[in-house]
Amino acid sequence: MQITRRHFFRFMGAAGASVAVRPPSAHAWQSKAPPDTFGCLVDLTRCVGCRKCEEACATVNGLPEPERADCQCTIFEKNRRPDETAFTVINRYYTGKVDTFDKPVPTYAKVQCMHCQDPACVSACIVGALTKEDTGAVRYDVSKCIGCRYCMVACPFEIPAYEYFDPITPRVMKCTFCQERISKADGLPGCAAICPTEAITFGRRDTLLKVAKKRLKENPGIYLQHIYGEKEVGGTAWMYISSVPFDTVNLPTLPDTPAPKLSETIQHSLFSYLWSPVLLFGVLGAFMARCNQEDHKENNPDKGGV
Amino acid sequence: MIKKMGGIVCLMILWAGVCTAQVWQAPDQERAKERAKEVVPFVKEYQDDCQISRRICLIDAGVSLDDVETVYFLLDSPIIKEREDHYEPVRFAHKRHAALVNDCSKCHHFRPRDENALETTRCSACHQDSFNPDHPERIGLKAAYHQQCMECHQEEAKGPVDCTGCHLKHVPDHKELVKLPDNPDPIQVTKACLECHDTQGEDMLKTAHWLWRGPSPYTTGHRKDILHGKGTTALNNF
Ligand code: SF4
Ligand code: SF4
Ligand code: SF4
Repeated sequence: MQITRRHFFRFMGAAGASVAVRPPSAHAWQSKAPPDTFGCLVDLTRCVGCRKCEEACATVNGLPEPERADCQCTIFEKNRRPDETAFTVINRYYTGKVDTFDKPVPTYAKVQCMHCQDPACVSACIVGALTKEDTGAVRYDVSKCIGCRYCMVACPFEIPAYEYFDPITPRVMKCTFCQERISKADGLPGCAAICPTEAITFGRRDTLLKVAKKRLKENPGIYLQHIYGEKEVGGTAWMYISSVPFDTVNLPTLPDTPAPKLSETIQHSLFSYLWSPVLLFGVLGAFMARCNQEDHKENNPDKGGV
Repeated sequence: MIKKMGGIVCLMILWAGVCTAQVWQAPDQERAKERAKEVVPFVKEYQDDCQISRRICLIDAGVSLDDVETVYFLLDSPIIKEREDHYEPVRFAHKRHAALVNDCSKCHHFRPRDENALETTRCSACHQDSFNPDHPERIGLKAAYHQQCMECHQEEAKGPVDCTGCHLKHVPDHKELVKLPDNPDPIQVTKACLECHDTQGEDMLKTAHWLWRGPSPYTTGHRKDILHGKGTTALNNF
């Protein structure tokens, strides 16, 4: 059978009408970011690639020692990603920057979960195993996780990793923002505490934004005038400032809209007032009716045929 | 055999050195240690000058190389060690750096706003704990050291920029690691050392201490000779 143009427009008209009658403000998407969260500001001009943060992260989180922990040279030959054994890694990039002797200058970039203000992973998790805490940390609760790995697909930074090697009790693994340590008074994330050059500044996100803006303003020749994570995907608790474009150090160019805004808006509008199931069954019903009619015609020997 | 005896004598001397070191303490080292432990009051307000005006201020105040008294400092502040403690202190040759750089304002970049304060306040007066919420833009002492040292070493292409160039790693306490009888003889001690440090033992066999011949860079008139020593030409060391 075929859907004629006329039929199609008729259905769409009905669908449009049912969307139009929906009161628009009732489901307007709202950010669920807790106020006054902690954050970290990573200053790529300060990082010297010592990889002490990797080591500290492994220690405070009970992970295995980082791959070739003392190596600050050949380890950078391959680009690494955080995985189920390492919540953070440092990568080295040659972006064309040169020093006064015309020698290429490397830029080192730390990778870990960004602890988004409106995290896609939290929104994607169907059992609430991931939650955005008041500290700003996006926390994972293994006892709730059913292993669907939606979070891994949803994350715009491709952060969560999975313990595929463990068939019995696999976990989703990602940076915890040292939730336990930072919820205590005076507590610091392991990586920020060890960093010798304070390439990682820990503090309240609002304060960090001020600090970052001040640094950009006072050193316009050094920094790009952009705070990565201030607006990206609606803002992230971990933010970066740099002297080289962010996409050259593998920080993806992302829109300012939080990922959950789009997906949740679509979901919510689909299910508001049950219009979409009604429409769906309406469409199906119409199809079936039409099919029946045509079958009827085809099977009718009076109208030709064999 | 004689060579072997020689090696053992060397080790005995070393061991004797280790024993006496417990008694004798280098006075400047002790002073540096004491100074490193001090925590001075935090300077909240500072004078935000540019480097040139700082230089002029320092000249006006009559601060010169002659004022540098201490030869070296141990950078071993409790402010840092309270948080993280992984390395042995760094020995910072203050006088040597002052002479090489010949510009105090390079490191003493700001001064306290208080007019009675010293022109050249120590680093740890302004830079203390990291991430102080009351002074969020102020970097902590550890970062101040690292940024200052590494940046200059990189710019001047001089001085170490790797970790172990400045720091020695904590040496674990060998009391627990080494089991020796009471009053051990030198051979027992050497054996205990070699149990773990076997590569060092091998390396030792290639040095002048074992071969009794080798380069003599400190002997006037023989600086370029590479095969001097009791193993070849010399009768004795005098
Ligand atoms: S970076 Fe990815 S894993 Fe981390 S909070 Fe954001 S969406 Fe979740
Ligand atoms: S915040 Fe904690 S878990 Fe995350 S990278 Fe730093 S040390 Fe690792
Ligand atoms: S510890 Fe700090 S300087 Fe070292 S690699 Fe990590 S972020 Fe960079």
